[in-house]
Amino acid sequence: MSAVDVDLLIVGAGPVGLYGAFYAGVRGLSVAVVDSLSQVGGQVSALYPEKQILDVAGFPSVTGRTLIGNLVEQAAAYDPLYLLGQEAQRLERTVVDDGPDLLVVTTSSGTEVTCRAVVVTGGIGTFTPRALPAGEQLLGRGLEYFVPSAQAYVGTDVVIVGGGDSAVDWALMLQPVAASVTLVHRREAFRAHHGSLQALRATDVRIITGAQVSETVGDEALEAVVVTVKGEPPQTLPCQRLVAALGFTANLGPLREWGLELHDNRHLVVDSAMRTNVTGVFAAGDVNDYDGKVRLIAVGFGEVATAVNNAAVHLDPAAQLFPGHSTDLGALVPA
Amino acid sequence: MPYVIAAPCIDIMDKSCMEECPVDCIYEGERKLYINPKECIDCGACEPVCPVEAISQDRRVDEEHTDHVEDNRRFFVEVLPGRDAPLGAPGGAHKTGAIGVDTPLVTGA
Repeated sequence: MSAVDVDLLIVGAGPVGLYGAFYAGVRGLSVAVVDSLSQVGGQVSALYPEKQILDVAGFPSVTGRTLIGNLVEQAAAYDPLYLLGQEAQRLERTVVDDGPDLLVVTTSSGTEVTCRAVVVTGGIGTFTPRALPAGEQLLGRGLEYFVPSAQAYVGTDVVIVGGGDSAVDWALMLQPVAASVTLVHRREAFRAHHGSLQALRATDVRIITGAQVSETVGDEALEAVVVTVKGEPPQTLPCQRLVAALGFTANLGPLREWGLELHDNRHLVVDSAMRTNVTGVFAAGDVNDYDGKVRLIAVGFGEVATAVNNAAVHLDPAAQLFPGHSTDLGALVPA
Repeated sequence: MPYVIAAPCIDIMDKSCMEECPVDCIYEGERKLYINPKECIDCGACEPVCPVEAISQDRRVDEEHTDHVEDNRRFFVEVLPGRDAPLGAPGGAHKTGAIGVDTPLVTGA
């Protein structure tokens, strides 16, 4: 159990949450960003990192990956604390007489975040990797759902399951260091970016389509997997590292217990200052709702600036709502 | 702004789309699958996996199938045969299981 004390907690490290972290810095607020995924970028990183996004102001065309990288860089000037791979679960309030109430958010890793305001930028909710039924019992002992670094894969026989960008990206990332990489996909067609797939086909990665990992072998640690191609006898491949990149399911999750007013059973109702019905809790981006709501990244950026500036006034009622212009702030990035 | 499933799904129901959908918003009727327009996030993950190309964005549906844009919505907002209330936005097909009935458009197909 660890404890963190910040002015503002942002729940959700998607594009809108990352921009909110930047804006918290502009307002001089200390900020933490919690996300259930072990990587930043939310839906953009998890579902379409290679897609060209054409409707972000000032960017005629930008890939999801570049947009997220830029947002992280923009926020980095203020050194936000990232709490990744943990889900914001419980919200408790301590009433304070002469200031904003203390809010304590406990995460799934047991981190207690004490703050004075929360901005929920939770998008479509907590992402949970889709499980690989044949390997669930070996999770953490050979089976993984994410590849944050190649280190644990050096010299191993790797099998990756899936046909999306994550599966292909990870195969490309691990191919230079692993003893062998095999990509197993249930269908003939891949959903991954065409360019990455071409790059993959130029390597020695073995690609097996129309196939599933039907069984895993190993007690203490993974030793082999059984791959079944439709209409063929099953084949056993030596495998110490199995990566299941089968996509995600998303759900609003524990936020449902925070006493927030919901619309359509999935969106948080906010006013024009992005306040929810729970004092000190704001919401921006895809997760919120109001009359006339349009769910676009471009809109979320504006909303989170509104939310963070209003949160700054909630923290200090003497503060001005308007933050000033960034051009007046001098060098945002410390020299 | 959701995706919709049109007539080619009828009596096929491959369900690959249900495996792909990140928000579990594809519900199972008796002969066809339906996308909940209130729950769909427009991500498009379902479209390429459909073996009969029944899925498209609501603004790009083939002319001959445009009635299915409204029909996908109808599955959730109208009271289906044998039920007392519309399905609404249940928050995931795994919660409801197969619904097992269809809209009149599909039943009559």
